[in-house]
Amino acid sequence: MKNDDLVICRCEEVTQADIKEVINQGVTTMNEVKRLTRAGMGLCQGKTCGRLVAGILSGETNQPLQELKPSTSRAPTRVLPLGTLSKTTQDDD
Amino acid sequence: MRIEDHPILGKTERRERITLKVDGAAVPAFEGEAIAAALIASGRRVFRYTAKRREPRGVFCALGRCTDCMMIVNGQPNVRTCVTPARDGMVIQTQVGRRGGEATHDLETENS
Amino acid sequence: MGKSEIYVVGGGAAGMAAAIEAARAGAKVTVIDENEQPGGQLFKQIHKFFGSGVHRAGTRGVQIGRDLLKEAEEAGVKTRLNTVAYGIYPGKRLGLICGDHTEEPASPIIILATGASENALAFPGWTLPGVMGAGATQTLININRVLPGRRALMVGAGNVGLIVTYQLLQAGADVAAIVEGLPYIGGYGVHASKVRRAGVPILTSHTVLRAEGDETVERAVIAQMDEKWQPVVDTEEVLEVDTICLAVGLSPLAELAWMAGCRFSYLPALGGWVPVHDENMESSLQGIYVAGDLAGIEEASTAMEEGRLAGLSAAEALGHLSVEVAEARKIEVRERLAALRIGSFGDGRAIAKRELLRAR
Repeated sequence: MKNDDLVICRCEEVTQADIKEVINQGVTTMNEVKRLTRAGMGLCQGKTCGRLVAGILSGETNQPLQELKPSTSRAPTRVLPLGTLSKTTQDDD
Repeated sequence: MRIEDHPILGKTERRERITLKVDGAAVPAFEGEAIAAALIASGRRVFRYTAKRREPRGVFCALGRCTDCMMIVNGQPNVRTCVTPARDGMVIQTQVGRRGGEATHDLETENS
Repeated sequence: MGKSEIYVVGGGAAGMAAAIEAARAGAKVTVIDENEQPGGQLFKQIHKFFGSGVHRAGTRGVQIGRDLLKEAEEAGVKTRLNTVAYGIYPGKRLGLICGDHTEEPASPIIILATGASENALAFPGWTLPGVMGAGATQTLININRVLPGRRALMVGAGNVGLIVTYQLLQAGADVAAIVEGLPYIGGYGVHASKVRRAGVPILTSHTVLRAEGDETVERAVIAQMDEKWQPVVDTEEVLEVDTICLAVGLSPLAELAWMAGCRFSYLPALGGWVPVHDENMESSLQGIYVAGDLAGIEEASTAMEEGRLAGLSAAEALGHLSVEVAEARKIEVRERLAALRIGSFGDGRAIAKRELLRAR
């Protein structure tokens, strides 16, 4: 297996090649990588692949890791069965 | 393989013996233990096949975060078996793809 | 019972310590935890802790976990288990999944103690069943009481890698080797010696090249690496293993802190992106505190002390403790924290923590 065929985002099965491709097209931020490849959009919401993607982005674009903030965290950060949202209580007790 | 007697933790406290049905076969388990534990104890390591590349996945984080251990449980897909307690008579199936489907040796017959 | 004044997200070492301290001072505290029982990683730690008596040296993590649960109950802490926090909104409102419905409680104070997650290492074959985190292995052995496999390769010779190797052996499995990418062993010498005496080779400047197998791990190929992190020709070795454990570090589980808008600093010595906080454990946002591995990867002992600090500060902020009483107790906790961050292992963390405080 060529190294670039390596799966990076386990949930969405996004490979190193997929990520490098969008970087070659000019992408420089974690958010863009996520948006264009779906890496980090799967069921685990990037918990497993986040650092790996940052490492690749850093290596390919020469940006140090401290300049690559993780992609934006939006609710829900956990798997949420659709039915549960319709039964939300804001009762503070 | 189950650890029955551990040098530090001592003898494993056991709850009631139950039976799960996994891809049609009977698998012994203990009431309330993580489904994944019973499956691993029975020798199974492949829990699902991925949507795109049809690759096997099993327990990876064991904490309910990575979602690699998901199987179809009592008809419901995407159940994280490492954090879901086993109950007697549960029907468990290897999940193929995202929404789930019966896994067979011939993957072309699965519906997705 | 009355509205909760403090919501603690995460019922591990830090969260429970925070809750106990705040509740003892008179605050109404609710701890949220996604698991069936609180205690976080403590129940996986079957080895004896180090440190001084006040840090419960000689006690196993499992026992500390039980003690914390008892103390929390006695202090009147409310615990909501099987409850997941999926979001945090303006006004310090949490989004919680509670079984079949969601709730969005708001409270004056939120203490985030969500801990850390294991880092991943990607290599060809890493998605094969049999490749898992070292923490995952620990969970399977010590909590689920099953062996993940019969023969393992451990990747990483930090404390987690060394400890889990020993726990695998105790549980009756075999460990073929530990490979460590750095040219030295990162974990405590006492753990490394134990593992070596048990016959497990620790191969520094080595890495796993790939995992092989039909549907599950059947073999691992390792190799030595040169200074440029490239495999050295002709050093490839095939190990017959069915399990590969990744012990390559932890990172704070900080999504909620990011979502809330907390400011972060990038500090590799503490695990990467860490929410900044002051000497009271308050983040850059008023009323949101952080403690434990979330505030920087350290140990259970520092997690408990940081939890205490956050709990005391929160209770003080709510008026349950006078400034004098709170400050006196906080000074004690800070002294204990400083005592935990010394020596060749602690120094790096102490420096990083000071930077974190300055960044706020």
